[in-house]
Amino acid sequence: MFHTKVLWMPAPRLAVASFALLIAACAAPPNAPVAVREPSLSVPVAAPPSTAIPAALAARAPSTAANPAILEAVEHKPSPPPAPTAVTAPTPKLAAAPIKAVTPPAATAQVVKAVPVPVTKTAAATLDMKALENRLKQTNSIGFMTKIALKNQVNDLLEQFREYHRGRLNTPLAALRRPYEMLLQKVLALLQDGDPPLANEIVASREAIWGILADPVKFATI
Amino acid sequence: MKKSFQQLSLVFFLSAFFVASAPAAEDAALLKDLTSVIALLGVPCGQVVSATKLKDNDHIATCNDGNRYRVFINAEGRVVAEKK
Repeated sequence: MFHTKVLWMPAPRLAVASFALLIAACAAPPNAPVAVREPSLSVPVAAPPSTAIPAALAARAPSTAANPAILEAVEHKPSPPPAPTAVTAPTPKLAAAPIKAVTPPAATAQVVKAVPVPVTKTAAATLDMKALENRLKQTNSIGFMTKIALKNQVNDLLEQFREYHRGRLNTPLAALRRPYEMLLQKVLALLQDGDPPLANEIVASREAIWGILADPVKFATI
Repeated sequence: MKKSFQQLSLVFFLSAFFVASAPAAEDAALLKDLTSVIALLGVPCGQVVSATKLKDNDHIATCNDGNRYRVFINAEGRVVAEKK
């Protein structure tokens, strides 16, 4: 009965049934899994800055020990979040940890060493006139009256220099050189046998003494 | 007796020698000082061979060239050599 009913269905009804079967076949899930590939990123991903900066600094600086402050500041930097949205916005921790002084103390010391300050040898070159004078007074190679006579002649020469620096002497400074040399020769002649060390010191101080006598500023301090 | 006399004379001789040598050293220094002073003052003398003390820091110096000078310190504190 049923078979005869099916065989005896009209054509339009058969077409609708076949179409319905076709739709049902397309809606059903597939038996084989489909491989879904994510798009590959050709752009290289930059390393986190916390590890890159020390490497860059190490490449610049000859020794990391010279830049401890910078490394210390870098080490305290937190790594940025992996999400792309967080990269654009600066994190508050980065702003709170400013980089410390660019020139650490060790570097400044090196700079100072590289540029030595010209230190004038003032201490060594300063003539100790008082010490020379005392030694001359105490030396046994010159008698009492000879010392008095030398003192008179030194005072006479100093008076000439005083007049010159006041502008009352018409002769030039070079004209005073000869009496200065003559007096120095007399002193050396008296000392060379009895007190050779003092004589050598006076010979060594010849130009320094002249410098003091010729300079009005230094002469005023005598 | 002779031995004691000899010992005594030896003691006197030695004491006289040491006593006499002390002022001689001072004289030599004085003569040298006077020679230097006179040379510093630029007057002709050569070498002072003898000196006679008038008072402190006042002497008559006799040079080997025959010149005689009175060397002294005046009131102004300057050493002066006056020819005698």
